[in-house]
Amino acid sequence: MKTAKQAGILFGVAVIIAFAVNYFSPGGIALVGQWDVIQGVITAKEKNDIVITDLEIGDVTLARKLYDSGKFVFVDARSRDDYVEGHIKGAVSLPVGEFDEKIDVFLEEYSPEKAIITYCSGRTCEDSHRLAQLLLEFGYEKINVFIDGYPGWVTRGYPIE
Amino acid sequence: MNESFKTFFGNSWVELAARWILGVTFIYASHNKILAPAVFAKIIYGYDLFPAAFINLIAIIVPFMELVTGLALIFGFYPRSAALIVNGMLLVFIIALTINLIRGHEFDCGCFSINSSGQATFAGPLLFRDFILLALGLHVFFYWNQRKLCILAG
Repeated sequence: MKTAKQAGILFGVAVIIAFAVNYFSPGGIALVGQWDVIQGVITAKEKNDIVITDLEIGDVTLARKLYDSGKFVFVDARSRDDYVEGHIKGAVSLPVGEFDEKIDVFLEEYSPEKAIITYCSGRTCEDSHRLAQLLLEFGYEKINVFIDGYPGWVTRGYPIE
Repeated sequence: MNESFKTFFGNSWVELAARWILGVTFIYASHNKILAPAVFAKIIYGYDLFPAAFINLIAIIVPFMELVTGLALIFGFYPRSAALIVNGMLLVFIIALTINLIRGHEFDCGCFSINSSGQATFAGPLLFRDFILLALGLHVFFYWNQRKLCILAG
């Protein structure tokens, strides 16, 4: 009984510290996250979360329409290896992990007025959002995130290369 | 046999060693999770075992339970109770790993490092390690003699 009571004290102390730190820490998260892939990219909803729902295109058919319009540059946020293995036809590779090295060349090729759609490997992957944020910082304004990414595109049998 | 068993596990140095190994392990394990709760939350999601409403709460609380019990074990603050909580957590880890091992679900364990997010881990060695830790935890819990270097033995 005494042990259980003392365990309760330890547990209580841990819980109080946990919520206090989470509240004040810049890396703190919401009490409930977004873990439903039907609603969009999953996220713990960190403070300054990189997942911005407003940018999301959650409809593959819509993504295809935008693709067919020819007005959008599709940018692949996945690793170079994934890109080489297969990507949306005509998409440009700009891996989030190599952003700093690759952004200069990208800037030369595509002006900030260009409308961009980023994607990665689906709704459990946040790299497309990360890339969107980085591009926004570099002055690109017309950015959307195609959240079903490469797998969603492949499932529909849309053009790949 | 029974006598030597009693001498060994009744030795306060052996208990202290078990307590410290367990304490250091748990503090070490809590470190990265505390720094990046969002990444840890995503790892918990990857286990595919917990209701969505609880994922963030688990990610917020568990790292500090590891830290607090780890410190309690090292400094001898209610060590028996700390061992009780640690054993409870280990049991949950073991059950979670076993379920995913059985159903062949690939996931990132997120046990210590959370930087390797997305990497699948083999559950076998992890289970083995958790059982070793559980053995240490049970020893600390059932230890019957006077404990060494305790702030508050309880």
